[in-house]
Amino acid sequence: MKRKWLKGMALTLMALAVAFGTVSSAGAASKLSGRIVINGSSALLPLTLQAANEFKKLNPKVRISASAAGSITGPQSVRKGIADIGAVDWDASKDVPGFKKFDGQVAHKVAVIPFAAVVNSGVGVSGLTTSQLQGIFSGKITNWKDVGGSDADIIVVNRAFGSGTRVNFQMKALAGKDFMTKGSNYKEVKSSGDMKTAIETTPNAIGYIDLVYVTSKMKAVKINNVAPTEANVINGSYKVWGYGYYMTKEQPTGATKAFIDYVQSKKFQTGSLKKLKFIPISAMK
Amino acid sequence: MSMIDIPTSGKASASSELGRSLEASSGRIFSRKSRLSFYNRTFRIICIASAVFVCMILFSILFLMGRTGILTFDTVSVKDFFLSTEWVPENDQYGAFIFIFGTFALTLLTMAISVPLSVIIAIFLSEMTPGWLKTALRPVLDLLVGIPSVVYGFLGLTVLIPMLRTVTGTNMGDGILAAAIVLTIMVLPTISRITDDSIVAVPKKYRDASYALGATRFQTILKVVLPAARSGIMYAVILGMAHAIGETMAVVMVIGNTPQLADALFKPTSVLTSNIVMQIANVPFDSTWNDALYLMGFILLVISLLMIVIVRLIQGRGVKA
Repeated sequence: MKRKWLKGMALTLMALAVAFGTVSSAGAASKLSGRIVINGSSALLPLTLQAANEFKKLNPKVRISASAAGSITGPQSVRKGIADIGAVDWDASKDVPGFKKFDGQVAHKVAVIPFAAVVNSGVGVSGLTTSQLQGIFSGKITNWKDVGGSDADIIVVNRAFGSGTRVNFQMKALAGKDFMTKGSNYKEVKSSGDMKTAIETTPNAIGYIDLVYVTSKMKAVKINNVAPTEANVINGSYKVWGYGYYMTKEQPTGATKAFIDYVQSKKFQTGSLKKLKFIPISAMK
Repeated sequence: MSMIDIPTSGKASASSELGRSLEASSGRIFSRKSRLSFYNRTFRIICIASAVFVCMILFSILFLMGRTGILTFDTVSVKDFFLSTEWVPENDQYGAFIFIFGTFALTLLTMAISVPLSVIIAIFLSEMTPGWLKTALRPVLDLLVGIPSVVYGFLGLTVLIPMLRTVTGTNMGDGILAAAIVLTIMVLPTISRITDDSIVAVPKKYRDASYALGATRFQTILKVVLPAARSGIMYAVILGMAHAIGETMAVVMVIGNTPQLADALFKPTSVLTSNIVMQIANVPFDSTWNDALYLMGFILLVISLLMIVIVRLIQGRGVKA
């Protein structure tokens, strides 16, 4: 009996020693500790997750939980105190079409996200002007022949109200003009993935999507004669892009500040962020 | 009286015997009897607590949905909400008639396609199939029930809608017909399996009597078996309807999600479930919009509760052998 007890005790001690040993040796790297909760935009989630992984390696005592439920949930969760950082595809400290500003929140730019107007690969139009886009998305232009294509009805695919992509596209590509809300050749989809499927499979369809989602089965059209490429975004000729933001309640402190600093750091911006096909904020003038 | 007396006295003597055996032989601080009664009581409390917990969940969901939903009427009149067809939350117009109408239209269309089909499948399964095929087909139907709805929706989006487009020549294909076809495939196994069970439950003597009177197989099935299995079939239909009304993921992918009245088979529209799931993630908390979506959820909840009550009533009746 006694020997068993001793053996158990020894095993426990050893386990404890191992556990504490690893923690203390890793803890030597950074004294930062705490818990960061991030919620919001699904477009920014890959970036956030990658940054969280790298950040946790440097600061093992910081726990980060990141999730995504849509842009507007980001600043809302911050306001309610559920999240420390709200990821959002527009500057939520200012008014945008459809959404009031969130008073007192601080916006931190973390990435540049380019968007593209896309059409089904069967559509014979390769470029549209701002006023043509406004006409199509407001329902005034309903046939491709009016914008230089063949005689076919235009199928408009839109993201649901509240989507960050929609807010940006409306501000930058349509110059703030309203979308149509109904029509027999109009539909709304729930996510970028659904948008991709809809554009790929629906003849004569037009929609818009993050540039990184553009596939070979669809066509990204030139807007005002400028092709949607990363180079054109950086040199300033292609205007349809937006910043991705992290919103915080006040000026951030502690672990939250360190995390945002890490995401904005040159190392992350030109490394992992670029690999995920976002454009570094430093690239923009 | 004597009917009741006998079992009680028997029970009493049994329990007194049990009591004696319990009091005997106890080496510990608490006697065996008090330990056992403690276990019994604890177990009973756990059981009651679990039952209360389930009821509390149901009532708190109802309460929460109803309470938040009712706030809608602070800014929107009851008439506007139920009868207006203008759903433009950006401009504070909250007419949910489109969605309520869409839900009922979609459900009716689904039932119109799926009920005849499933009843025929059930008749085939129960009355015409040889035994070995029966044992092969029933598990197939059961497996169909288990396929996640998002799979049906995805196939609807990528296979059914392009097919509808080429067959009918419409521009888009999204609309209540596409949704009804997807839902039909989803509820078909449920309805046909339950109908099948209720047809099998019809006593053999009914059929024998019918045949003895010189009826053909077709006459027997149509005039004797189906009417006898009527309540079971109703039960199956309502279960299928409840399933169809509440289905979300499959519907949202093929219905088009546009707030306009479903007055044509191929016109992008929206129903209660699809509208809630499209918008709930993007609405500001504490807004009328949010409350209106809760109210729509509450309406769905009430509809499905009503259906369950009807199912219970039907189950209570039924053909006795």
